[in-house]
Amino acid sequence: MHRTTLLLTLLAATASAFAQQHDQHGRPPAAATTAWTTQPLIVAVPGGRGERAAPQFRTVGLPAAEIRVFGPRGGEQAFPVEAGATRLRSPAPESGNYHWLSAWAETPAHVAVATTVWYSSNPGPAPVDLLQHAKSELEIVPDPLPREHANYRESEKWRFIVRYAGQPLAGQLVRMETERGTRTSFTTDSEGVATVLFPRDFPPDAKGEEHNHANAGFVLSTERQDGDRHFVTAFNHIYGLDGERGRSLGWGAAFGLAGMLGALPLLRRRQNGKEQ
Amino acid sequence: MLKTLFPTLSRLRFTVQLVMLFVTVYGSVIVGTYMAGKISNALPALSCAYDQMNGGYCVLIPTQHILHHRIGEAIVRAQQLTFTMILPLLMSFLAFFAFFFVLGKAFCGWICPLGTLQETVGMIGRRFGFGLRRLEDDDLVAARRVRPVKWLLLLGLVFLLPLLTGLGVTPHSLGNPYCDICPSRVATSLLTGNTDQLALRVGDGWSFALGATADFLIGFMLVGALAIRQPFCRICPLLAFNALFQRLSPLRLVKTRHENCGQCRICSEACPMDIQEISLQEGRKAYTEDCTLCGRCAEYCPQDGTIRIKWGPITLFSSRRDYYKNKVRGEWPDGSVKPVRFMKRSEAGDGR
Repeated sequence: MHRTTLLLTLLAATASAFAQQHDQHGRPPAAATTAWTTQPLIVAVPGGRGERAAPQFRTVGLPAAEIRVFGPRGGEQAFPVEAGATRLRSPAPESGNYHWLSAWAETPAHVAVATTVWYSSNPGPAPVDLLQHAKSELEIVPDPLPREHANYRESEKWRFIVRYAGQPLAGQLVRMETERGTRTSFTTDSEGVATVLFPRDFPPDAKGEEHNHANAGFVLSTERQDGDRHFVTAFNHIYGLDGERGRSLGWGAAFGLAGMLGALPLLRRRQNGKEQ
Repeated sequence: MLKTLFPTLSRLRFTVQLVMLFVTVYGSVIVGTYMAGKISNALPALSCAYDQMNGGYCVLIPTQHILHHRIGEAIVRAQQLTFTMILPLLMSFLAFFAFFFVLGKAFCGWICPLGTLQETVGMIGRRFGFGLRRLEDDDLVAARRVRPVKWLLLLGLVFLLPLLTGLGVTPHSLGNPYCDICPSRVATSLLTGNTDQLALRVGDGWSFALGATADFLIGFMLVGALAIRQPFCRICPLLAFNALFQRLSPLRLVKTRHENCGQCRICSEACPMDIQEISLQEGRKAYTEDCTLCGRCAEYCPQDGTIRIKWGPITLFSSRRDYYKNKVRGEWPDGSVKPVRFMKRSEAGDGR
């Protein structure tokens, strides 16, 4: 009886400890601090377990009244920002993974837009239509988005299309700022595509926690003056470590070779064995 | 035309396997990045989600993922089992079995990229004369002693550990334990020139141990497949997953009794999974959990109509004596190829 009670207590304590460790897995982009940029951002509010279906986001550097969610099946829904944060739900409930989030603030002379993506881990259509559909005047659109189990990673090149009124903008300057302090810029080509090289700016000893790799926020921003109106648009998300950081190819190859050696007796013994 | 290109079922199957190897490993190059997501909804048992160039991913990934992140986490929140919670798991299973309804276990024998790789290595082994070893009492070990392993892997690594991880009982690094030991993850990502999956994560004991197991398995498989046909298939939980519902698919192996059954045993010799029941049994018992519907037993059965591959009432392939005779002219039942002849073949000297 006592042993059972002890076992249950231990089990509950272990579950509680691990539950705390699991809180951040699969979360949309969240930054510990946003002092690294003055660009408008949409960042996730760290939440508890099981909040995948209804995560909380807040806007930073932007007095937005609401966050608009564009679903993967064409649905669209606005959620008011209350007490600095908004709890979102997919406008395509129970289906569809890729969601586009957009928050904006405008005056007659100035329009600022913050955008990001949210993966809700539901199977659904590819985000081709979602990304092609113009959602604001000036846009930075990933082409393509990383798959759900992938991510932007340091040293990788990713394409982003800059569009104005739905048309690609050639020769447009796109600035990049990262949480790790990198400041750089890229220029779009004739098709409006900026090829962004993610900087290798994590410290050499950076590691992930549990199976969450270390990651940091980045923001791409661009601006355009059109008559009396000035547009600023930003896209922020997170990028992570190079896939081989914290990994040992040597150990991997060693175990592969060990497996090969382990199978060698199968070849030797049989060659001296019975005829086929 | 088709008959010239694919004179035997084996030739047709190997062609399909090579095409599907390309599709499952490099598919997104042709159909676009997001096709993995799209195809995975309809054809969820294709390849590995760890590859970024493939055309769709394996059903075992969403199974572990959903048990870990949906069901486990929801139970932790003490919610009742709602439809919204179970729906993703049901959708994954239903999509998988919609695909399975058409192809049945032929996924294993005709499409699986790891199966194709093992078979290709096996062909090299036969070509270079490595002696074949079997899962039999007088050779390695009886097949019946190995069969439970795939069920244990399915139960423990695909269902139980992800659920326990979602509940917070086991560490986070045990959230996708089967994928972490799956040699297909390593093999198919290596085929795209990506060594990330071969490299082991250091600093976390569980991740290191699971990755090391995968690397050991892929090494063992690459050499072992020279001597043992389809070594990993025998313990693959996806085969167990398929076997769970093999009676529900219209595509199946049908065996009827012939007076020579159990005597010549050429069919079980031809079977890459060393299934003895195909020569000893008939009816449902002959179509065992290990069968991958490759069709070699039907190709090498010398009796007309004894072994058939059927889809519902339609017979897709049936054993025939003349087909068998032609087949053994080029290749022995165990896969060994005959020496190239430079003289005109004597018809009378062939056959078995």
